[in-house]
Amino acid sequence: MYKKNKILALTAIIFAAFFITSCVATDVKINIAPTQENFQAPVVSLDYVDVAHYWGWWYFSKKVKPTMGTQGDYGAPLDLAFIFNIENPNPYPVKMDSIKFTIGFEDFDLNTVENKEIQWIPAEKTNQVRVHAMFDGRQSLLSLLVTGGFKLKEKGLGTGAGAALKQLGQWWETIPGFEFPIHVKQGAAVFSTEEGIIKVTAFEKTFP
Amino acid sequence: MLKKKWQKFFISVISITFLFGLPSAFAEDKINIGSLNDMTGATSDVGKDYALGISEAIHYVNDMGGINGKKIKLYQFDYGYRIPEALTKYKLFTRLGCKAILGWGTGDTEALSPTITRDKIPYISASYSGHLTNPDKTPYNIFSGTDYSSNARATLTAWFDTKWKNHPDFGKRKPKLICSYMTSHPYCSAPIKAIKDQAKILGFEVGNDQDVSLFAIDTKSQILAMKKFKPDVVWHGNTTMSVAATLKDAYAMKLGATHLINVWGYDKNLIKLAGKAADGAMGATVCAFVGEDVPLMDKVVEYAKKYNPSIPIEDRLIRTVQAWGNVMVLWEAMKRADKAGDLSGESIRQNGFETMANFDVGLGIAPVTYSASDHRPGKIVTVYEINDGKFNLIDKVNLGQRWADKWNSWLGW
Repeated sequence: MYKKNKILALTAIIFAAFFITSCVATDVKINIAPTQENFQAPVVSLDYVDVAHYWGWWYFSKKVKPTMGTQGDYGAPLDLAFIFNIENPNPYPVKMDSIKFTIGFEDFDLNTVENKEIQWIPAEKTNQVRVHAMFDGRQSLLSLLVTGGFKLKEKGLGTGAGAALKQLGQWWETIPGFEFPIHVKQGAAVFSTEEGIIKVTAFEKTFP
Repeated sequence: MLKKKWQKFFISVISITFLFGLPSAFAEDKINIGSLNDMTGATSDVGKDYALGISEAIHYVNDMGGINGKKIKLYQFDYGYRIPEALTKYKLFTRLGCKAILGWGTGDTEALSPTITRDKIPYISASYSGHLTNPDKTPYNIFSGTDYSSNARATLTAWFDTKWKNHPDFGKRKPKLICSYMTSHPYCSAPIKAIKDQAKILGFEVGNDQDVSLFAIDTKSQILAMKKFKPDVVWHGNTTMSVAATLKDAYAMKLGATHLINVWGYDKNLIKLAGKAADGAMGATVCAFVGEDVPLMDKVVEYAKKYNPSIPIEDRLIRTVQAWGNVMVLWEAMKRADKAGDLSGESIRQNGFETMANFDVGLGIAPVTYSASDHRPGKIVTVYEINDGKFNLIDKVNLGQRWADKWNSWLGW
């Protein structure tokens, strides 16, 4: 009887010790306080690019009378979505405050987008974020004309609005097959901990 | 006994609520500010750098304690230099209760001016048009840099003072000025009346304006027309690419004039695009260039490196510093208004901006003064010259002192 009690007591102690140890271990994992030293910058990588919405290519100058609405210069919009993996290597959750990057079609920077909707990434997990970039045909034309004139000429496309429209048409028409390089450049994602420690991750990638 | 237990329970619950609830309530005490930027449209080559500067400067402001302890929440949007989108975003800013708006170019600033006046929302723009400096007409338009008209007057004066006296024809004939710009564009044409008036004051002969498109990369026909007039100086009112094209053609066709360039055509990209043709070109800047040894520049560089590490600091433009200048004056105005106990737009203007007298922003910006009758931030304009691919400060023209009798009459044009 006495021996039986002893075995039971010993078993209880072993179980208790195991329980306490595992609790402590879990606690340690949860309670690592983020510091500037142990906070590793999360990894941002472009997973893929998607033509989210597509209208083909067209351009109407203000000389063309519309069936309805206001007469003006209008170019086809193009909606691209950029899907990123955001990997948190830290043993504590991390907040992504913003993600920003510039998009280049070949050698021409056409768009810079920023997503400031915050999200929390659990400890040692990977989230995904989709960032839309809207390209407006008219807006892109003006951007090319005011900033990219020399490059268009160097590329042998000529000068002026005709050259810029020709280039835009090529991009808009071939993008469903991703027939030219799309550069994600000058990327910066801002991360912070609950305590307000900040890290910024730089990233860039060419797709496809 | 039971009653006492309940009392204890409620006291504990209330204590815990206070302990954990109040700090988070304080943490939510934020001030919303809107920002309209062009990162994709016709002015994106300079607009992107400016937008980055706005965001970095707001990070700095928050790190320094925000508006007397209250953090700023920045709502920053790209409007692609499209006015309908600027108007739409403005409606969002009002729904969000933004206390002020950091705007961008002449288009959005002029389109929104009547609305912000009606709504009493301070609008701090990167359009430095002299037309926006008269509070009787545009009371809520503000900026930190000297206006385009003052810049044009000062650049012409600096050339007259430093170059003309050494010219072999000095004392023999009048110096000759010609203006090269897109005549239909409001930014390009904004200071033309002022520079021609200054030319008259200094005794210049003025030739016919040359219409150069903002999209131009071939300006030979305009250079040929200029050659007939044989100008000593050419004022360029366009943005960087078309100014670079004009400088290159003028260099190739041996025009032999000195080029004076307005703010948005005068930065590192001009030197990259125009090369040797940019040598000797003069321009008024509204602040120092990135990396210059002036107060607060260390923070500009630090925050640029911290928040946009993938853009080398060498590639950052003066536009970043211009953005900081506007954020710094807004910050100061909001702190003053908040201390006065009223953070409304009207108070930010009256208790904030219009109480600044020789306020030192740093960043190479001349001390800033705003009054209820004059929103021109300064009378002193810094003028630079490009030598061997570098910008050198050559003159500081104090227009207010030198033409004290005329200064007030120049307001708003």
